[in-house]
Amino acid sequence: MTVAGGMTRRDLVGRGIAGAMLLSLPGALTACAGGGHNASTEVNDVLRFSNWTLYIDYDEKTKTSRTLEQFTAKTGIEVEYHEDINDNSSYFAKVAGPLSQGRSIDRDIFVFTDNSRYPQLLVNKDWVEPLQKDKIPNIVNLIDAQKSPTFDPDRTNSLPWQSGMTGIAWNESVTGPVESVEQLLDDPKLKGKVTMLTEMADSVGLVMLANGDDPSVVTDSTFGKAVERIEKAVGSGQIRRFTGNDYAQPLTQGDLAAAVAWSGDVVQLLSSNPKLRWGIPESGAMLWTDNMLVPLGGSAATASTFMNFVYDPQIAAQIAAYVNYVTPVKGAREELAKTDPETAGNPLIFPTDQMLKQLHAFSGDALNNQEYIETWQRVLGA
Amino acid sequence: MRRVRRYVLPAYALLAFVYLLLPIGVVILFSFNAPSGRFNYVWEGFTLDNWLNWDAVPGIRDAVIKSLELALVSTIAATVLGTLLALAIVRHRFRGRGATNLLIFLPMSTPEIVLGASLLTLYLNMRIVTGFITIFIAHVLFIVSYIVVTIKARLIDFDRHLEEAAADLGANEWTTFRKVTLPLLAPAILSAALLGFALSIDDFVITYFVSGPTTTFPLFVWGAARVAVPPQVNVVASAIFVVAILVALGNVLWGLRSRRTALEPMPQALPVPEQLHHAEPA
Amino acid sequence: MGWLHRHRSVTPYLLLLPGLAWLALFFLVPLGFLGYQSLQTGTFESGYTFDWAFSNYWDALSTYHEQFVRSFAYAGIATLVALLVSYPLVYWIAFRAGRWKNVFLLLIVAPLFVTYLVRTLAWLNILADEGPVVGALRDLHILGPEGRLLATPVAVVAGITYNFLPFMALPIYVSLEQVDQRLLEAAEDLYASARQAFLRVTLPLSAPGIVAGTLLTFIPAAGDFINAQLLGTPRQYMVGNVIQSKFLELLDYPAAAALSFILMALILVALLVYARAVGSERLTG
Repeated sequence: MTVAGGMTRRDLVGRGIAGAMLLSLPGALTACAGGGHNASTEVNDVLRFSNWTLYIDYDEKTKTSRTLEQFTAKTGIEVEYHEDINDNSSYFAKVAGPLSQGRSIDRDIFVFTDNSRYPQLLVNKDWVEPLQKDKIPNIVNLIDAQKSPTFDPDRTNSLPWQSGMTGIAWNESVTGPVESVEQLLDDPKLKGKVTMLTEMADSVGLVMLANGDDPSVVTDSTFGKAVERIEKAVGSGQIRRFTGNDYAQPLTQGDLAAAVAWSGDVVQLLSSNPKLRWGIPESGAMLWTDNMLVPLGGSAATASTFMNFVYDPQIAAQIAAYVNYVTPVKGAREELAKTDPETAGNPLIFPTDQMLKQLHAFSGDALNNQEYIETWQRVLGA
Repeated sequence: MRRVRRYVLPAYALLAFVYLLLPIGVVILFSFNAPSGRFNYVWEGFTLDNWLNWDAVPGIRDAVIKSLELALVSTIAATVLGTLLALAIVRHRFRGRGATNLLIFLPMSTPEIVLGASLLTLYLNMRIVTGFITIFIAHVLFIVSYIVVTIKARLIDFDRHLEEAAADLGANEWTTFRKVTLPLLAPAILSAALLGFALSIDDFVITYFVSGPTTTFPLFVWGAARVAVPPQVNVVASAIFVVAILVALGNVLWGLRSRRTALEPMPQALPVPEQLHHAEPA
Repeated sequence: MGWLHRHRSVTPYLLLLPGLAWLALFFLVPLGFLGYQSLQTGTFESGYTFDWAFSNYWDALSTYHEQFVRSFAYAGIATLVALLVSYPLVYWIAFRAGRWKNVFLLLIVAPLFVTYLVRTLAWLNILADEGPVVGALRDLHILGPEGRLLATPVAVVAGITYNFLPFMALPIYVSLEQVDQRLLEAAEDLYASARQAFLRVTLPLSAPGIVAGTLLTFIPAAGDFINAQLLGTPRQYMVGNVIQSKFLELLDYPAAAALSFILMALILVALLVYARAVGSERLTG
């Protein structure tokens, strides 16, 4: 870190071309204390919400989300819903610019996954607004397992939207059950027809579990062991490639036999191909949670009102029924059982206690460890 | 041997066209598909539904409108700048002509990724918020070079007789420009503008870097490709394709007409001296 | 406009001003910033400092030399294939297609009217493992029984070739079209065979087109990352993929900037070598 004053002089010396340049880049990227924060407790007329695709209930016929409509009906707040998040890093890159300059991104809620470095990074850089808990009485419905994550121990800045499990999915018409990471990485019958996820926490975490190590406490040696194993499988041609959501199409088509995959995806894919299966590997699976945060300059008051609304078990049930990911709201399953017992009984959407014991989270520190990140990027081939 | 040779080349041409047009066919075909699940990969049944409800996918309508708006303003700005540049380069002698040529040529020879990355660096450093304006700036930047090249080519071949004749008849420079040069240059300007429009609507790489929260159609497709590409994307792509082809066809036909008019022999009452036959060398 | 007539020498500068200003401000200046950034050190979290860190360049080259070589190799192969594929096609249009020339030209350009991403995604359909193309190749024993096209270098190069083919074809067409038929007739009168006429007259006259087409294909191809991302695996990743990842995912701006500059420099070097071999007027025209 350098002092802003000293930087400016070196700036002018080093960049005669650019002419008068008064602001230094480090200054622009780090000087963020204050400037741009929105502490108002007034609730706005409009909620601007950026979310992942296919992540809220959506009625094809009316082309709207029932949840959002009910929210507007109840509170009078219109919702501008943007499905512009496809993955953590590219969305973060989009918003980092304005946020680093203390500017609002014209959103009141955005959603990042806790198995990426971004929630921690956002909190560290003070690019988020604190929630106004007095507007969220329903926060008591938050399931116990989510009450105190490492990046936000008091839930000052975030609340879960949905959780998901990362396990192994396979296509029954191409292969028999793939129930262990070993099989995924070593079975010659699956060679070239297997993918892993680009998310470090998902792939490395899963392999660490298979090695008998604990992914919530990552050390250089446990990390190295897992990475080595993955690299071997890449080198031998066992792993075809690393994917984001884009394993879904090849897996459904049969180009892939098995993939490290997200539980909710597979539930949604079953309508395209009933022969898909998902399971928690023998050694355990990874749990991740997409968290709602309020970006710098956004209206925490309006956002908090919305969060309170979706923490009502009935609304949470409605969302879970469509989205098919794991809801963080207590009582949602019971609500759903009243109208849709089949979905309520689906263990991929409402994992059993037995399953919950096999789910692990990835260490937050490791996520922000620059060396690990670069090592992983090299494994990914970039 | 001659007989076989007569058929080899056309047969090859046919194969080549099949190769070129196959993916387009696939795109258009699958815009009519009725997929049961998320993926539009296997042909399942014909439907007009995707075309009727082309904006059923959230975000696609805004993305398309954004792309069209951007293309329109970028093209207009770039065409104006580019035409002026081309006129200056071809018709005037000035110091730094070589350097100017080079400067115009450079963006075309720089990979889009470098253009995008450098613009993003500029915006980050100057604390400029990325969005519509930043994309507009980027698009004009990389389109201008293509416009200059296209119009330059036409200007070099330009028959200046008509302009000289207009001057002889007493028209001043501006009137000559307005009534003779510009109309004759119009097909080239239009071609260049169409090229610019197409480049802007289709641009992905540069836009990807500088768009910030704004989404254009190509950006939308990129996002969708990470999850599942809905058939509506095919619909929009096919629609753009059809419109572009029609416009291009129209331009081709109009170009043929204009050229015929320009090449009509002048009335012999006005003999034109020999030295006016040569246009300025490049 | 008599003022302009009297101040003739001002006219070109007025015409040039808006365009050049735009280029200077939004092309040259950003490149300057990019250069500045490439000499910085630091991380996103802790901030960057200007350090004259030329080590960034060395690190970039040594870590990613494979991707550089690969980019140029893929781009080179794609350019060559594009040349071989489009030349006969364009020759046929220029000399044999008669009245319908422009229509066929339009057909060559037509793929460009479908969004780049969408037409690349169409190849995912066409080259799918369980699709007709791969099936046919397996039957013909060109591919092994478990062979595939997607997620291989072949798919990536094929994608690049397809996407940039019109840029190769059009310039060649333009120069072929300008070949004076009378020259060919003269060659015939001098007892040249069709093949000789082609090799000695047509081909050399189409050289400017070939040069232009090669450049218009090779340069964007070398910096491409979309084909590798959609049709390939990380083992096919090109420099473009690395730059994109460093810039937008790892937020490692200095490294990304250094890589961008190296890419640009390498392309300029290739251009200069090419220009020397071929004559520089043809390039900037």
